[in-house]
Amino acid sequence: MNLPDDTSTQSRTTLVQTSGAAAALLLCVGLVVWLGWLVLREIDDFSVANSDNLQWSLAQADVEFLQFRLAMKDAQDDPAAMEDVRRRFDIFYSRMVTMSSGRVFHTLRESVQSSAPRMRVLDFLETTVPLIDGPDEAFLAELPSLLSQSEQVTADVRAFSLAALSAFAEVSDARREGITELMIYIAAVLLALFIGLTLLAYAMFRLFRLAQKRADAVQFASTRMKTIVQTSPNAIVVTDEVGVVREFNTAAEALFGFTRAEAVGRLALELMVPAETLARHQIGALAFLDEHRRPRPEEQHFEITLQTRDLHLFPAEISADRAEADNALYVFYIRDISNWKEAEEQLTEARDRALAGERTKSEFLAVMSHEMRTPLNGLLGAMQLMRDHSLSTRQSDLLDRMQSSGRLLLELVNDVLDLAKFEAGKMKAEEAPFSINRLLDGLVETAQPLAQTYGNELNWRWCGPEGDGAIGDARRLRQVLLNLVGNALKFTRDGSVEVEVEYLDAAKTEVEFRVIDNGIGIAEKDLTRIFQDFETLDSSYAREAGGTGLGLGIARRFMRLMDGEIGAESEPGEGSLFWIRVPLTPVSDVEADPEEPRDCPDKPLRPLDVLLVEDNEINRFIVREMLEGESHSVTIAENGQAGVDTAAHHRFDVILMDISMPVMDGTTAAGHIRSGGGACAEVPIIALTAHALPEERERFRRVGMSACLTKPIERPLLLRTLAQVISGEIPAIPDDAPQPARAAPEGSARPPSAPEMPASGLLDEERLHAFLSEVPRAAAGKLLERFFAEMDRNIAALAESAPDDPDLAPVAHQCAGSCGPFGVEALRRALGSIETQTKTGRLPQRAELAALAELWEQSRRALEARLEAA
Amino acid sequence: MFRLPSLRAVISLAVVATPLAAGDLPVPEENPVLVVSGAITNTNVGGTASFDYEMLEAMDTVTFTTKTIWTDGEQTFTGVQLSDLMALVGAEGEDIKATAINDYAVNIPRADWVDGGPIVAFLNHGEKMPVRNKGPLWIVYPFDQKPEYQTEQIYSRAIWQLDRIIVLD
Repeated sequence: MNLPDDTSTQSRTTLVQTSGAAAALLLCVGLVVWLGWLVLREIDDFSVANSDNLQWSLAQADVEFLQFRLAMKDAQDDPAAMEDVRRRFDIFYSRMVTMSSGRVFHTLRESVQSSAPRMRVLDFLETTVPLIDGPDEAFLAELPSLLSQSEQVTADVRAFSLAALSAFAEVSDARREGITELMIYIAAVLLALFIGLTLLAYAMFRLFRLAQKRADAVQFASTRMKTIVQTSPNAIVVTDEVGVVREFNTAAEALFGFTRAEAVGRLALELMVPAETLARHQIGALAFLDEHRRPRPEEQHFEITLQTRDLHLFPAEISADRAEADNALYVFYIRDISNWKEAEEQLTEARDRALAGERTKSEFLAVMSHEMRTPLNGLLGAMQLMRDHSLSTRQSDLLDRMQSSGRLLLELVNDVLDLAKFEAGKMKAEEAPFSINRLLDGLVETAQPLAQTYGNELNWRWCGPEGDGAIGDARRLRQVLLNLVGNALKFTRDGSVEVEVEYLDAAKTEVEFRVIDNGIGIAEKDLTRIFQDFETLDSSYAREAGGTGLGLGIARRFMRLMDGEIGAESEPGEGSLFWIRVPLTPVSDVEADPEEPRDCPDKPLRPLDVLLVEDNEINRFIVREMLEGESHSVTIAENGQAGVDTAAHHRFDVILMDISMPVMDGTTAAGHIRSGGGACAEVPIIALTAHALPEERERFRRVGMSACLTKPIERPLLLRTLAQVISGEIPAIPDDAPQPARAAPEGSARPPSAPEMPASGLLDEERLHAFLSEVPRAAAGKLLERFFAEMDRNIAALAESAPDDPDLAPVAHQCAGSCGPFGVEALRRALGSIETQTKTGRLPQRAELAALAELWEQSRRALEARLEAA
Repeated sequence: MFRLPSLRAVISLAVVATPLAAGDLPVPEENPVLVVSGAITNTNVGGTASFDYEMLEAMDTVTFTTKTIWTDGEQTFTGVQLSDLMALVGAEGEDIKATAINDYAVNIPRADWVDGGPIVAFLNHGEKMPVRNKGPLWIVYPFDQKPEYQTEQIYSRAIWQLDRIIVLD
C-alpha cells in the first residue's frame, strides 16, 4: 500500500521517539535496580538492630559513677557499707568495659575513644582495682584521697559521655543524611520513571495515531479501489493465484450473468470459458493462469471466446496481468467485442466486395479489349485482302482511312488491355538481358515512318560513356519510349526529335533516357496533368493526332513497375523534354542478334507449302486468303492434334500454329511435332497468338517454335517472317531449345470467359452485319454452311454429354469460337459460361447442357431468317 | 508458632525436671546468685526460689556460641534455659520482671520462655562471669541462631548482672 511521504517521515520520527523512550525506560530500569539494591541494603541494615540504647548507657555511666561515689561517702561513716562500694565499683567497671567492647562504641570516632577524659577514667579504674580488691583497712585509708580523686573523674565521665553523645549524634546525622540522600535518589528515579513513562505513553499515542491513520488510508484506498472496480464500464475479474474468483464487478455481472456472490469462490476458468474448450484443454491464451505464472508481455492482451451463464458464446478482448503482492492476484479486464467484431467483419466484407468489384471491372475491361481484337483482326485482315482487288482511287483512299482507323482502334484496345492488366495486378516486370543500342535502333526504325509523315528528323545518341547490355524489361521499356517518341513526333512539325541515353552512375545501374523535341511544347500547368489517365491536351495537333490519352498513364505505370521514374520539362513554343530513369543491371555479353540484313526479301521468293493449324474459321479464312493470294499452297488442320497428325506424314515448308485451340493447344502440338521425329520435325513453326506475354514467348521458344506473330496478322509482316525462316535468317529451331523437345505442359492463355451480361437478343446484329458486308457473298455462304454443319453436330454432342466429360471444354471452346464471327451471341455466351465453369473446376449443370440444343435451334432459325432478309 | 516448641519444652521439662520435682527445691548452700519470687509454686527460701551456682549447674544446661552487640568476637555461653527455670519454679504468670544489680529492670513475656529461646547464662567461655564483666548472670538470646532475635526490644531484654526475677501475676 502506498502511503504519502509525510506519513513515512512521521513513522520514522515516531520510531526515533519510541526508541528514545525505550532507552529512557531502560535507564529507568537500571536506576530502579540500583535504587532497589540500595534500599534492600538499607532494609537489611534496618532489619537487624545494631544499637542498644547508647544514650541510656552513657547516662547510666554517669549515674553509676555517682552511686559509686555515694557508696564511698557512706563507707567513710560506716565501714559496713564497704560491700556496697565494691558492688558499685564493679557495676561502673562493667559499664566502662561494655562501652569499650561494644559494637556500638566502635562506631564512635577514634578521637572520642581516645579522648583524654576516657583515658583518665580508665586510669582511675585500673589504679583503684587493687584497692577495691584489697583489704578493707587499706581501702578505707585511701578513701578520702579516692573521694577527692573521684570528683575529677565525675567531670571526666561527664565530659566523655557528652563527647560520645555528640559523636553519636554525628553518626546519626550521617545516617539520616544517607537516608535522605536515598530518598532523594528514589524521588529522582521516580521522577525519571514518571517522565519515561509519560514519554512512552506519548510515543504509544503517536504510534496509535499513526496506525489509525494508516488504517484509515488503507480503508480509503480500499474503498476507492472498490468503487473504481465496481463502476468500471469494463468487466473486471480478480482471481487469486489458483484462479479462484475474488472480485467480480458490476460490469462483469452484466456481461456474464452471474451475481458477484455466485461468482466469488468459483474457478474463473470454469465460470467463463466454454466447457468444451476446457474439456479439450484448449484454453490457449489463458494457459498462464493454469500454470500459475505471470503472463509474458505478449500474453497480456488477447482475444478469446467466452461464454455467459446461459451458454451464449461471445468474442472477448482480455487484458490480464498478475499482481505480485504477498498473495498473488490475477486481474482480468474483459471487454465484449461482439459489436466490434461484427463491424470489422462488415468492413472486411465491404472492402472485399469493393475490391472484387474493382477486379471485376478490370477483368471486364481486359476481357472486352481481348474480345474486341478478334473482330478487329478480321477487319484489318479483310482490308488488306481488299487491296488484292482492283480499286478505284476513291475506294483506295477510303480503304486507307479505314485501315488507319482500324489500327488506331487496335492501339486503343491494346492500351486498355495493358491498363486493365496492370490494375488487376497481373503485371510483372520482366527480367532479361537485352541490348540498349539495339533497342534504340529498333525504336528509331519503327518510328521513322511517323517522323517522315510530319517532316521530322529522328536520331538517338549516347551522352557520356557508352554502354550496351542490361537486364530489365526491354519490351515495356520499348513501349514507353515508343510512346514518348510518338508523342514528340506528333507535336513537332518539320523539326527534330532527339533520343539521348546516359548512365547516371559509374556502376551503370541507372539509366536515363531523354526524348527531346523542338515542337510546340506544353504549358507549365499541364505538365503534371498529362501523366494522368485519359488526359489529352486540347490543341489542334492533339485532335489531329488522335490518341486515347492513356499512353502516358500507361508509361507512368510501366515505370513504376520497373521501379523507375518518368517526368517532363517543357517551354511552350520551344519544345519539350521527357525523361525516364530506370534501374537496370548492367551485363557484359548480350547475345548478338544478327544484324537484320537490309537486303532480306520482303516476301518468300518461291511458292511455299504451308500447314495452317487454326481452329477459328475466320482466322483460317483470312490467313489462307493472304497466302493463296501470294500463290502459296495452304493445308488446313483444325486443331493441334490434327496438326500433329498431318505434319507427321508430309513435309511442309513451314507450319503456322495457333496457340489457343481445342483438343490440343499449339504449344503442345509444336512440342509433339519437334519430338515426334515425323516429316516436319525440323520444319520452322511460327506461332500465331492474340497477345503473347513475354513468358509465353519464352515458352514457345523452349518447345522449339521458330518465331511468333501477333494477331491481327499483317500481310507484310507475315510474308517477311516467312521469308526470314525460309532463308534461314531466323533459325528453324532456336539454339537453346532441346532438339527432340518434350511437350511443354498445357498452359495456353485461357480464353476469356463471357462476362456476365443480361441476356440480350440471340444475334449480335452489328457483328453479323460486319461479317456479311466484309466477306464475299459466295465465301460467306460456304462458311455458313460449314458453320451450320459443325454446330449441328457439336451442339447435339454437347447437349448429351456428361458434365464431367473431358471433351466438354474443348468442344465448347471450339463452338464458341465459331459463333463469334457470325454474331451468334447468346449461344456463344452460354458456351463460354460452360467452358469457364469446367476450367475453374465447377461442373456445369446437366440442364444447362441440354438447354444448348434449344438455344442453337433458335439461333439457327434467327440466322437463317436474317440471311434471307439480306 | 510458639505452641509446638513450648509443648516440647513441657515434655523435656517433664523428663529433666524429675529429680527436682515434688516441690522440694533444695536450699542453696552458698550465697544465692538468683532469687525468683512472685507467682511461683515451687519455693525454698521464704516464699522465694533462690539459686546458687551449684543448683544452676545441677540443672540441664545449654551451651551456644553467638556474637552480641556488646562484646568483641564470638562468645560461648552456658546456662539454664529460661523456660526450664520457669517450669522448675512453677511460674504461673504471663510475664516476668528481671532486675539487675544496677537496678536495670525489664519485662520478659511468657512467649520468650521457649525451648531454644533465651538462657540464663552463668558461664562465658566456660568461666564464671564477675560483676565487673556483666556477671554473675546474663539472660542471653541465641542471636546468631535466630536472627529474629536481633531487634532492639530483644536487645533490651538481654539483661546482664541479673540477680532477681519476679514472676508477675
